[in-house]
Amino acid sequence: MSTLEIKDLYASVETKEGRKQILRGVNLTVNSGETHAIMGPNGSGKSTLAYTLAGHPKYEVDSGQVLLDGEDILTMTPDERAKAGLFLAMQYPVEVPGVSMTNFLRTAKTEIDGRAPAIRTWTKELTEAMKRLKMDPKFATRSVNEGFSGGEKKRAEVLQLELLKPKFAILDETDSGLDVDALRIVSEGVNRAKEADDFGILMVTHYTRILKYIKPDIVHVFADGHFVKTGGPELADELEERGYDEYLPEGSDSESALA
Amino acid sequence: MVDNAEINIPVADPDDPYAVPAAMPSSADTSPRSFDVADFATPTRRQDDWRFTPVDRIPEFFEPFEPSGATRISVGYIDGSPIDGDDVDVREVAIGEAPCGTVGKPSDRAAAVEWNSAKGAWVVELKREPARPVLVRVHGAGLDPDALHLVIVARDQVHGDVVVEHDGDARLAEGVEIVTGRDAHIGTTFIQEWGADSKHVANHRIHLGAESSLRHSVVTLGGAFVRIRMDQDFGGEHGDLNMLGIYFADPGEHIEHRTMVVHNHPECRSRVVYKGALSGEGAHSTWVGNALIEPTAPGTDSYELNRNLVLTPGAVADSEPNLEIENGNIIGAGHASSVGRFDDEELFYLRSRGIPERQARKLVVRGFFGELVEEIGIDELASHLMDAIDRRLARGEDEDTQHALEEK
Repeated sequence: MSTLEIKDLYASVETKEGRKQILRGVNLTVNSGETHAIMGPNGSGKSTLAYTLAGHPKYEVDSGQVLLDGEDILTMTPDERAKAGLFLAMQYPVEVPGVSMTNFLRTAKTEIDGRAPAIRTWTKELTEAMKRLKMDPKFATRSVNEGFSGGEKKRAEVLQLELLKPKFAILDETDSGLDVDALRIVSEGVNRAKEADDFGILMVTHYTRILKYIKPDIVHVFADGHFVKTGGPELADELEERGYDEYLPEGSDSESALA
Repeated sequence: MVDNAEINIPVADPDDPYAVPAAMPSSADTSPRSFDVADFATPTRRQDDWRFTPVDRIPEFFEPFEPSGATRISVGYIDGSPIDGDDVDVREVAIGEAPCGTVGKPSDRAAAVEWNSAKGAWVVELKREPARPVLVRVHGAGLDPDALHLVIVARDQVHGDVVVEHDGDARLAEGVEIVTGRDAHIGTTFIQEWGADSKHVANHRIHLGAESSLRHSVVTLGGAFVRIRMDQDFGGEHGDLNMLGIYFADPGEHIEHRTMVVHNHPECRSRVVYKGALSGEGAHSTWVGNALIEPTAPGTDSYELNRNLVLTPGAVADSEPNLEIENGNIIGAGHASSVGRFDDEELFYLRSRGIPERQARKLVVRGFFGELVEEIGIDELASHLMDAIDRRLARGEDEDTQHALEEK
């Protein structure tokens, strides 16, 4: 049983117009086995939260703590955070030319586990996981994410989630750009991985449609850099109905087109 | 080739400038080619061919000199076994004795100086397909200027590979002639792993027979100053030239490659792919890729690419593709060129999967070069080259660490 505690987190990003604070007092506790949906209007800082947790160099923490089983991960490098048990499935997975998926996955697995996986079981595990995600075996020999379609990239993220077995998985807009079939395959992959490893999920999403496949225990509304409302799954239905209008700052354009 | 040919350039009528294509002189008509040193002015940076070259560092390559003769040459198979004389003929000839001197003429003063300084030429002639790649080892044994002339010949229909490996300490003026017969398919790979104070100025003159293919690879991993200029043309239709280059420039080093591809026959294909990494203050690389498509070369398919990865601040990469297209009836003449740093997003992605920064950088650099190393296609070399690239990367990082520590 693990716990991820975000305590009064403030973070900024350097923009052309100067430094801009995006996260303004984020507080959240997630336990193993829980699925939290983090919903909110565009530009509210949801993705910033995801990247700040993972340690992207673009985002600077101003104050606050993020404790994973009591250890502050904010002092750790991105790779140390991954080793501590954090996984970020990215909205736009990055292409790394010339580095094959197999080499990448084996290297990552070796680093996370602290030892190289046994060749025979590893190959079997990889092949089967790819098969379940309906990924073409030839992806293994291709460069990381290079030339993958949007849906293929998301499957590759879930493949990593299944293989790396984190304590907490942050899914950043994993549903974006997926058609119905791909959404189902990807969601089933997440559910399967959670079933096996019982990790906690922070699911960042703008739309409610992924919640039909990955059932949240708790739904939060994120607006203006922090959580403004928390509830059960019924809160998602409410958002579906009424949109984000009431959470938008006064005078801003409505962007509440919920799909 | 065009020495005595009458050149007819249409001259535009000033009253109707669009009636005929503008009269543009072709570089084929204006670039001097000569065995005589006096036909070339001493290089300065005002001359286009020497614009990127710190010429003041290499005055010894601009006047004919008495070569030290200290450079040691040995020829064998890549596994160390002796050459089978039925397959490969290795001999020394006088400068100017065929096949030496049959492949074009020097294209700059340094190349003419080499020609007039060298005491003789080594000829490696592939008579029929050798069982394994031929290895020519060139070992520099001191910093007194030396000159070396090497001729690689592949007869009609021969397949084979020649690897030329340079190491040790040297100040070497080198001329290389590569000539193939018809329907020959060969690879030539030139590796420079010189000691830190070495200088190496080379001119490759390449003539590719009809229906033949050449994979010409250059790997420059060490030397204070390396400048390799390659002049090539085709001897007939359906030639296929594949030029590959890998280089690594360390602090204070100047590493320059100039690929001069000439399409002078119909339906030939050329590909030039050069990739380099640079690290540290004063590391300087230059790639200039010329592709000239002459009026006699319809159906040409050419492409050139140069990518530079700047690993640490303070390095300078010059990258200049030049296309000169004198025939409109071609398949393609493409080019691409870039100079970039490590991609932060790539590194973050790898690190977010638990891979430490140093290893992530290694993966990215290996990925950057890996495809090319594979394409060079000599198994005996592949792991050696990747290891050498890893070592270079590690060296750069150690210096960074050192630097960081000193700053604190």
